[in-house]
Amino acid sequence: MTLLKPSLMIKENLVRSPPMLPRRVFVFIFNKYQEISKIKLSSQLGCRIENLCLVTISIIFNGLMGSLLCTIVFAMFSREAQAIELTDNIRLHGFLTQGYFLTSDNKLFGASDKGGSFDFTEAGLNASWTPDPNLRLAGQVLLRRAGTGHEHDVELDFGLIDYTAFSTPDFLFGVRLGRFKNPLGLYNDTRDVLVTRPTILLPQSIYLERTRDLSLSADGGLLYGEHRSELGTLSLEMGAGVPRGNNLDTELAYLGGDYPGETQPKLSYIGRLAYEREGGKYRAAISAARVDVRYEPRFIQPDDLPSLKDIFIPVIFSMQYNTDQFSLSAEYAIRRIQESSPDNSFALDVTGNSYYLQALYRFNEKWQAILRYDALYNNRNDKHGKNYHALTGRPAHTQFATDWTFGLRYNITSSFLVAAEYHYVNGTAWLPRQDNLDPNEMEQRWHIFALAASFHF
Amino acid sequence: MSKLYLKYLLGILALGFASVLPAEHAPVVIVNSVTYPNASLSQNAISAIFGMRLRKWEDGSPIKVFVMPDENPLHIAFSKYVLRVFPYQLRSAWDRLVFSGTGEEPVMVESEQQMRDIVATTPGAIGYLSRSMLDDSVKAVSDD
Repeated sequence: MTLLKPSLMIKENLVRSPPMLPRRVFVFIFNKYQEISKIKLSSQLGCRIENLCLVTISIIFNGLMGSLLCTIVFAMFSREAQAIELTDNIRLHGFLTQGYFLTSDNKLFGASDKGGSFDFTEAGLNASWTPDPNLRLAGQVLLRRAGTGHEHDVELDFGLIDYTAFSTPDFLFGVRLGRFKNPLGLYNDTRDVLVTRPTILLPQSIYLERTRDLSLSADGGLLYGEHRSELGTLSLEMGAGVPRGNNLDTELAYLGGDYPGETQPKLSYIGRLAYEREGGKYRAAISAARVDVRYEPRFIQPDDLPSLKDIFIPVIFSMQYNTDQFSLSAEYAIRRIQESSPDNSFALDVTGNSYYLQALYRFNEKWQAILRYDALYNNRNDKHGKNYHALTGRPAHTQFATDWTFGLRYNITSSFLVAAEYHYVNGTAWLPRQDNLDPNEMEQRWHIFALAASFHF
Repeated sequence: MSKLYLKYLLGILALGFASVLPAEHAPVVIVNSVTYPNASLSQNAISAIFGMRLRKWEDGSPIKVFVMPDENPLHIAFSKYVLRVFPYQLRSAWDRLVFSGTGEEPVMVESEQQMRDIVATTPGAIGYLSRSMLDDSVKAVSDD
């Protein structure tokens, strides 16, 4: 019974406060490991008509975007990749990536385990306008297809006013207002643009698909400062804003299931201190965020959760060393989640850690190869999920994932590239849940083969 | 012994660089002669300008940056010996600016001829040429 209906069991236990296990343990089980098969995906979209409208709009938009990008692709094919200049100070840029994922087991961006999946597309169009050297307006629309729950996402990725208050060869200070990209680690700022990331699938230890929405961008303001000297460049970005992500993904990532109430991000803080030497030969950064997510129940207990407050504090240490042919990168993250209800009957405090080591080698301007080891542990006090399995009966492998990646990339021109990679994964901790509803059906050891073709200008 | 060896090695490297770059092909930073009469820029300023982090001249007028394609030999020489970075680093820094909404990339020109013409006719322009291509239409910048 425990295995079949854990959510029911947990709910009953919560009401009766059983003496056998401490309350903390139940909170832990309840919040993090709710049975995923209970997810009602339809609840996300509301009524059918609305659903239909959304799909229609999205198809039209996809079509327009697709034809626009195709036109651009053909127009640019014979030329060098560069921005389209509408006027002297308005620039347009864009990118389009189509991916193919084939997995031995488990689903990644669609039914990848059944003959492979093409359900992975990233397209973006961005414009920037510089009416004055101190003022810049920039915006980017992103279209993304990435498996169940992300069949046709269209979103404003960023839309901001950038004002430079002070700028000399040695100093730079300014502010960005609006929707800004969250400065986190080496790759988060441009994580959807294949040419700026090392592999088709970013190292999931740091750039989890699951918490993607919250880490993308935020609505608010960000201050930035930079100091250049012969010793290198020191830069600091500090922002406050409401992250995007009031959707099912956030609920799944934080509460472990789809509940009747609403999950909404609140005012959060983010910062990155970075140091670069010799034009980026040595790069180092510390990024941190304090993300505030709230759950407001729709029903009273025991039919719903109590109101909950989740504070997520990731701290990421990043390092990179670049030579003519080699680039070595490493990032290490400590991820702390504190969850509580107003009366403190719920209290959870779990810290996970994760890291990767990556070596990239450029054979020439066209070819590059990459080798990476990536590891993620949800709970550093239960790295291999043994306690978790003992408590819940659920697979221990949902609590960790290690990933050996080998990839190749070929730059056909400066604007076209193709990439291929192979992953050997042990664990399922970062596997997107919407594609894999039943944790008992997940395989612990699995393989991924991915291909992608990408264009940008 | 190891110090001697190091000196020897450095010597070879220096010779190597010298032989790669005959003086007439050495890249020189150039600016539009009308808008920037005081043609002297610090290494910091040149790095900031081509890194697209400095957008205005001292008088507040906009800086217009022009470069050649990534694989162009003059661009490679300019990146390595003037900016002291590898071209791919420059490109990845520009891509990060463009796709995160925090900046722009330089405008690309296809040939040295085109570079000279556009810098000569665009107020606030900065670019580079090989020494042999310099003429009176543009001003060479001294590194101070």
